[in-house]
This record gives sequence, structure tokens and C-alpha cells, in this order.
Amino acid sequence: MKRTITKFFSAVVMLSAFLLTVGVLTGSSSAAEKKALDTIKENGKIRIAVFADKPPFGYLDESGKNTGFDIVIAKRVVKDLLGDENAVEWVLLEPANRVEYLEANKVDIVFANFTVTKERAERVDFALPYMKVALGVVSPIAAPIKEIADLKGKKLIVVKGTTAETFFAENYPEVDLLKFDEISEAFQALTDGRGAGLSNDNTFLFAWANQNKGYVVGVPSLGSLDTIAPAVRKGNTELLNWLNDELKKLGAEKFIHKAFDEALAPFYGDTVNQEDLVVEGGVVK
Amino acid sequence: MGFDWEFVVSVMPIYGAAILLTIKIAVLGTLLSLLVGAVCSLLLYYRVKVAGSLVKGYIELSRNTPLVIQLFFLYYGLPKLGIMLPNEVCAIFGLTFLGGGYMAESFRSGLDAVSSVQLDLGLSIGLNTFQMIRFVVFPQALSVAMPSLGANCVFLIKETSVVSIIALRDLMSVTKELIGMYYNTVESLLLLVVCYLLILLPVSFLLIFLERRFRYAEFGV
Repeated sequence: MKRTITKFFSAVVMLSAFLLTVGVLTGSSSAAEKKALDTIKENGKIRIAVFADKPPFGYLDESGKNTGFDIVIAKRVVKDLLGDENAVEWVLLEPANRVEYLEANKVDIVFANFTVTKERAERVDFALPYMKVALGVVSPIAAPIKEIADLKGKKLIVVKGTTAETFFAENYPEVDLLKFDEISEAFQALTDGRGAGLSNDNTFLFAWANQNKGYVVGVPSLGSLDTIAPAVRKGNTELLNWLNDELKKLGAEKFIHKAFDEALAPFYGDTVNQEDLVVEGGVVK
Repeated sequence: MGFDWEFVVSVMPIYGAAILLTIKIAVLGTLLSLLVGAVCSLLLYYRVKVAGSLVKGYIELSRNTPLVIQLFFLYYGLPKLGIMLPNEVCAIFGLTFLGGGYMAESFRSGLDAVSSVQLDLGLSIGLNTFQMIRFVVFPQALSVAMPSLGANCVFLIKETSVVSIIALRDLMSVTKELIGMYYNTVESLLLLVVCYLLILLPVSFLLIFLERRFRYAEFGV
């Protein structure tokens, strides 16, 4: 028995040493390789991360093609960069992976409804915003959540890696959160009655409540008014500057308004005022 | 980007709670799996009509579908039929469903290894069915099956890492959560691995010890 114990401890020590080495190595190598504008042009293809389950911002249509507000804008960006809007590799991800995918150099731009926050800005470089957003809470009409106090003793559904999760964890730690990895799973749980409400971007919830009868955005605006912007890997200044110039150019021709009409208007009906959401040329009014 | 020890210390309580949840699901799931597996293997061994065929079907179903799918069915599927189980119950049931099949196969291999001479001897001294199981068949089967039962236990503990899809805050789940909120990837992943080792290394050593203890039936096989 004594030998077993000695063996156990030596194994623990060896493994810890190994893990520390791995940790240090991965920590330093992730910052290394950078993919600048020239490399993208050489490859003739850009990798853009988008959502597959957040209609009407980023989702898959009946034929499985990527579509939505983010994609309409991203496609235009790709067209202006490489001359062909199809010269893009769409990378689908979960909200919690957005920073990760940039840091690990799996994508060049994240165009996945990415809200600008201080914590995120320390890890990635945000370009100019194209959209305004706040948080909201959606709940069944039969048992609506109208203020945060209504959540007492109930569960609130959130998606991991979203601003809603951080907001409640930091400002209302007493709210019992039910956390899901995927947006689609979170809404499934809401419709199954696993939680009293679901918190996410209000822009997204308005569209969802409009498509799903029996639900209402009882808390329409929560927290501060934030912006949503594309993001590139930290230090990828070349691509960032190009992207900012491009967004200014799109602003001059009111392209974001066009994208709104094309991708969002059918989902919102007349529930959302265009000017409450659209940001042109990165200028927030 | 250095190693953030402050972060590691600050999230210790979160990992502590997650370890407890992982252990709770793993222990209950594994124990129930052993029970289900033992019963199933005996039903097969004694060729009980109908039940035997059902068990065969169950074993194939449980061993050939991923735990994620089983959990999905329990958590998102059953409410459509009006059955709403809390997520911890779903996780334990799911793990038992999966583990039961594996444990049954392990027990079966042990039962098959019990020599027929032993059975004849048992019968000749007048043991009834229960006594045969309790004193002749089961102890010898257990001895043979021990290594693979142990491997199944370790496998089931590791399988708990998928329960985040049903919103349980186990080790894997809180790691993803912390990475998503604070982006301390290296620190979170390191803690994750260390926590799993803290759970699994003692289990592995315990199993080595148990395997030695259970070698009593190695004579005359």
C-alpha cells in the first residue's frame, strides 16, 4: 500500500510538471503567427466566423446557405476586398468561442453579432460598429417577466459567452442562471418551460418573439446601450484599418440601412425602428 | 500574456462546486450502472424468456448511441411527451442507461468464464438457484470481470464531461463558461485537467488495488 501511495504522488508531480509546460507553450505560441491583408489576398479567400443559429442576424436558410444581417454586410466586405462575394470560408461557432477562434487564428474576422465590451477589447481588436444593442428578457405571455425582481426564485436562461451572462453575473448575482452552450438549445429550454425567461440581445429577442407566438419581450431594454462590431485578431492592424475604411465607405452609401431592409425588416414587421438599431460609418447617434 | 495566478485562485470555489457535481453524477451513475448491468447479465445468463431479448436490445441500443444523444432525448425529447425531468436526474439516468449496457457486457464476460464443472459441483451438493448465484457463480464472475468493470467506471466518470449540453455546471461546463466570460483560456483548461486528474488518479489506483484483491478465483479456471 505504501508503494502505491508513493507511486501516486510521483505520478501527480510528473503530470503537473507536464501540464505547466504545455500551458506555457500554448500561451506563448498563440500570439505568434499573424495573417495580414496580403496573405488573405494571396489565398484569394478570407475566413469569417458567423452564427448558424441566431436568426435574423446569422443563420442557415432552407438550402443550408449562410444568411442574415451579419452575412449580408460580411459578403459586401468580402466583395470589396477580394472582388468576389463568394471568396469566403464561413466558419460557424458558438458565442463562447468567438475570442478563442481569433486568438487561435482559426478565422480572420468575427462577424458574429459581437457586442463590444471592455473585456473583449483587451483580447481582440474591434472595428467600427454597425449596430446598436441592449439586453432584453423574453418570457411567455402567460407568465411575463416585466422587471428583474420578477425573476426571484425562478431560473433565467442565458447562453454562455454572451453579454447577458456577464451582465447578470456581475450586476445581479442573486439571479439563478441556467447556462447553455448553444443559442438553439437555450430557446428549446425556454419553450420547454425550463426557465421563467431568457436574456439575450434585445434586437435578437424582438425578432424571435415576433416569430414565436405566445412570447413577449417583457423587459425590452436592460443594461447599457452597446454596439456590435466586427473583430479581428489583436494586433492585426492592417486588416483592422482596411475594415474601418470599408465601414466608413459603406456608411457613406447607407449600406447598413439596405442590409436592414433586406435581412431584418421581414422579421421585425413594424416592431423595431430602423434608426434604433442601424449604425452607419461607425458613428453612433 | 502571463499566467494569471490571481484568476486561478479566484475561480477555485467555482471549480470546487463543479468537482462535487461531477463526482455526484459519476458516483450515482456508476453505482446504478453496476446494478443495472448485474441484473441484465443475470437475465441473459439464465436465458429468461422475453426479458432476455429485451436486455439484448437494450445493450445494443445503449452501447451504440453516444451519451450526448441519450441526454438530448431525456432533456429535450421527454418534455414533448409530457415528462419533465430536472437536469441532474437526466444526467444520472443518461449515464446509467449508457453504463448499464457496458457493465452488463463486462459481467457477461465474467459469467461466461465460470467453468461448467463449477456449476455441476454446485448442483451436486444441493445448492438452489440463489445459492448458486451468491456463492458459486457471482464471486468467480466478479473476479474475472473486475478489470473491465474498473475500466468502465473510469470511462463513465470521463463521460460526465458532456453534461453541459443540459445546462449542468460540471467541470467541463464551468471551464467553457469561464473562457467565454474572462478569456483566461490557458488557466481554465489547466484547472480542468488538474481537477479531472484529482478525481481519476485516486480511482485508478483504487482499481489497481481492487483488481489484486479480486484475483482469488484464479485457481483451476
